[in-house]
Amino acid sequence: MSDLIEVDDQHAPSAPSKRSGPRPSTTINWQRLLGLMAATLAIWLFIDSTTLQHNAQVSPVGIRRTIALDLLGPVAALSRVTQVSHLESWANGALGRNGNGSGGGESLTIIMPPVQKRTTTGHPPIHPAITTIPPNSMQSPTATDPLRVLLIGDSLGIDLGDALQNRLAATGVVVAALDAKESTGLTRPDYFNWPAELTSALPKVNPQVIVVMMGANDPQAIPGPPGISYGTAAWDVAYRHRAVSFMRLATSEGASLIWVSLPPMQDAALNAKVQHVNDLQRSAAAKVPKVIYIESNQVIAAPGGGFSAFVTKDGQNINVRTPDGIHISPSGSNVLAASVIHTMRKQLDIPVP
Amino acid sequence: MLFPTIDFALFFLAAFALCWVLSPFPTPWKLAVLGLSYFFYGWWEPKFVLLLVAETAIAHVGARMITRARDDRTARLWKIAAVGSLLGILGYFKYAGFFAVSIDNVARSVGLGNLIPLIQPTLPLAISFFTFMAISYVIDVARDELDPASPIDLAVYLAFFPHLIAGPIVRGSELLPQIRRRRDERHIDYSRAIHLIVRGLFKKVVISSFLATAIVDPVFVSPSGHSALDVLFGIWGYAIQIYCDFSGYTDIAIGLALLLGIKFPVNFDAPYSAVSLQDFWRRWHITLSRWLRDYLYIPLGGNRGSESEIARNILLTMILGGLWHGAAWTFLAWGTLHGVGQVVGHRRREARVAAGKPPQTTGLTAHIGHVVWTFQFVCLAWVFFRATSFTNAFEVLGRLFSGWGSPTTLVTPLVILAIVAVLAVQQLPGVLGARLAAWWSNQHLALQGSLLALVLLGVTTLGPTGVAPFIYYRF
Repeated sequence: MSDLIEVDDQHAPSAPSKRSGPRPSTTINWQRLLGLMAATLAIWLFIDSTTLQHNAQVSPVGIRRTIALDLLGPVAALSRVTQVSHLESWANGALGRNGNGSGGGESLTIIMPPVQKRTTTGHPPIHPAITTIPPNSMQSPTATDPLRVLLIGDSLGIDLGDALQNRLAATGVVVAALDAKESTGLTRPDYFNWPAELTSALPKVNPQVIVVMMGANDPQAIPGPPGISYGTAAWDVAYRHRAVSFMRLATSEGASLIWVSLPPMQDAALNAKVQHVNDLQRSAAAKVPKVIYIESNQVIAAPGGGFSAFVTKDGQNINVRTPDGIHISPSGSNVLAASVIHTMRKQLDIPVP
Repeated sequence: MLFPTIDFALFFLAAFALCWVLSPFPTPWKLAVLGLSYFFYGWWEPKFVLLLVAETAIAHVGARMITRARDDRTARLWKIAAVGSLLGILGYFKYAGFFAVSIDNVARSVGLGNLIPLIQPTLPLAISFFTFMAISYVIDVARDELDPASPIDLAVYLAFFPHLIAGPIVRGSELLPQIRRRRDERHIDYSRAIHLIVRGLFKKVVISSFLATAIVDPVFVSPSGHSALDVLFGIWGYAIQIYCDFSGYTDIAIGLALLLGIKFPVNFDAPYSAVSLQDFWRRWHITLSRWLRDYLYIPLGGNRGSESEIARNILLTMILGGLWHGAAWTFLAWGTLHGVGQVVGHRRREARVAAGKPPQTTGLTAHIGHVVWTFQFVCLAWVFFRATSFTNAFEVLGRLFSGWGSPTTLVTPLVILAIVAVLAVQQLPGVLGARLAAWWSNQHLALQGSLLALVLLGVTTLGPTGVAPFIYYRF
């Protein structure tokens, strides 16, 4: 074993002398440490197995998901039988959380117009549940009777929503509610159920206009049973149906819906999927009244509609996409938000300042 | 592959076992560590492993040619070539788009548009970190402070996965001897390592995430929609968020390296207990600070020369330090603010010393004043660091004045507690955590494992809900 080198004992702690007694041990050999780490991981996996199992269930269909579910299934079952999983669900309950990570509540933020004054109780309404809609509030929003807008989406929706919410709130006559969550879409309601979330948000916000941008996470298999693979005619039918249902739900209380298409992606394979989702969403929008479909590739893309990290506006180049080639930069979000506001003015006849 | 994930936990368990089994055999150990590190980096984007390999090759060839050079001039030329190449790679991936669009906009304003092709390459993860490490290696060899390493030693030094993604920026003199030397598998300082990892997880997963969603992001997204008090706490909250996020990740990195028998330098030392900006930079991202000091500030002249030369050196160093953090004018503004602050602080200290006084006023009240003032200035600069544009930054700052009277909705007891607790801990000697870790390490192994599992459960429960299992994630 010519490669063997002796351990450099200069760097090893000296053995405790017999007279001083045993010294507290803060060091350990690697074998015992490996056992400790493995045991820790095993105990933690056992306690947290139900959450990990849920996480595996909502992950993209594939080998990784299958292996994870096969391994976690028995562990999670044992955890439930022994009531150990209650430890985690108790902790989540104490924090007021749905342990499965689905459902809403955490994704909704509402920005009131800055001119809002405190109510006599000293606590301004966070969720203005307006029971009657004044007849002219949409045509002439004011600070005391603001236009109510709900912004919905995934991470791209967050990009647009942040800019749009800020611009709308700054007008002083709009209540802008942003309800968005990264990595979500319509394909996997087991991970995040947008129809349920929208149903929950509608009475809280009572929007007159809803703006939606999502779909980039949707090109993946719909898990079963029966499972539907992405790229099949059955998947297209199922997805279009979900999009139509969602749009009908959004407009069910009288709100107008602006659906913003996904921008082109830098990666060609990803772009093909995203454009396919756009096609399905566009065809769904054509079937539902009160839905306006905005093409983002006419605003934050190359002149031909392809991917471009830069656009020229008023003679200046603007960086509209982030370095990952997927998301929208803050400048790009502002450009797209301006386009949405323009649509609200021109097509919905709302005099947004 | 991010640290606080189950994927990484399983990866590390396997990596730990493999590394220690091979520890008696230096070459297989190095090859295993290198393979694991490339696998770790390639988990995000496999093709950029080639970038890491390329920079390793440039640093290796550069260092070898420097040492073989027949005269100083040739050695200097090789140094310039190697460092220039490394900076060129960094410049292309990180700054090409920024400078191209800025220059083109200026050109357009004078009627000379389309001078430069507008490109935006995908930014490789951690490129700033490993490029700076490669540059420090080449320069240390050129200064005869370090012997050239073998290719595999150098590759391991640059790619070692605990520090690869977010530092610390380790020197060759610190890590190469540890790579060459056999690690002591009988006495792994696991108490300190576990303490660091748990502390890092709590800071990053719990505190940082909480403050980001509870107050910082809402305030910076829409300053005009929040009160002055919300904005003020949002700014303070960001100071705590970025500290917990960055130092938490570094703690985990140092802890993981310790578990593998490797010691990293400390990277954060209670920065918000600093009594001046100069002191702050001795406590914040220490490995970057010393890199800037040794490879930029001192070669520029450092503290030698006239007052204006010293001021120039400080400003230039801090501005470039700002640019290192990101390709945007707001990062330059952040660096400039720190530079200006340090110049002013330097001149005040010099004036006081020249007048026979101590560099700073002394006493408890003065000390508190220095800490508070330094923290507020640092927070002011953080506004530009966090803001998405100058407009956003001035919106946030302006709201501090115009937002009084609006309802405060984000400043909750928990937000206040998180901010105050982290600040308070920084003012205290850091012995409690170490004592707790020592107590834990004296328990039976089964109890140690159980307690640690409960702590991990606590961290994951208190952290943000849900998981991002889908195709895309925000960088």
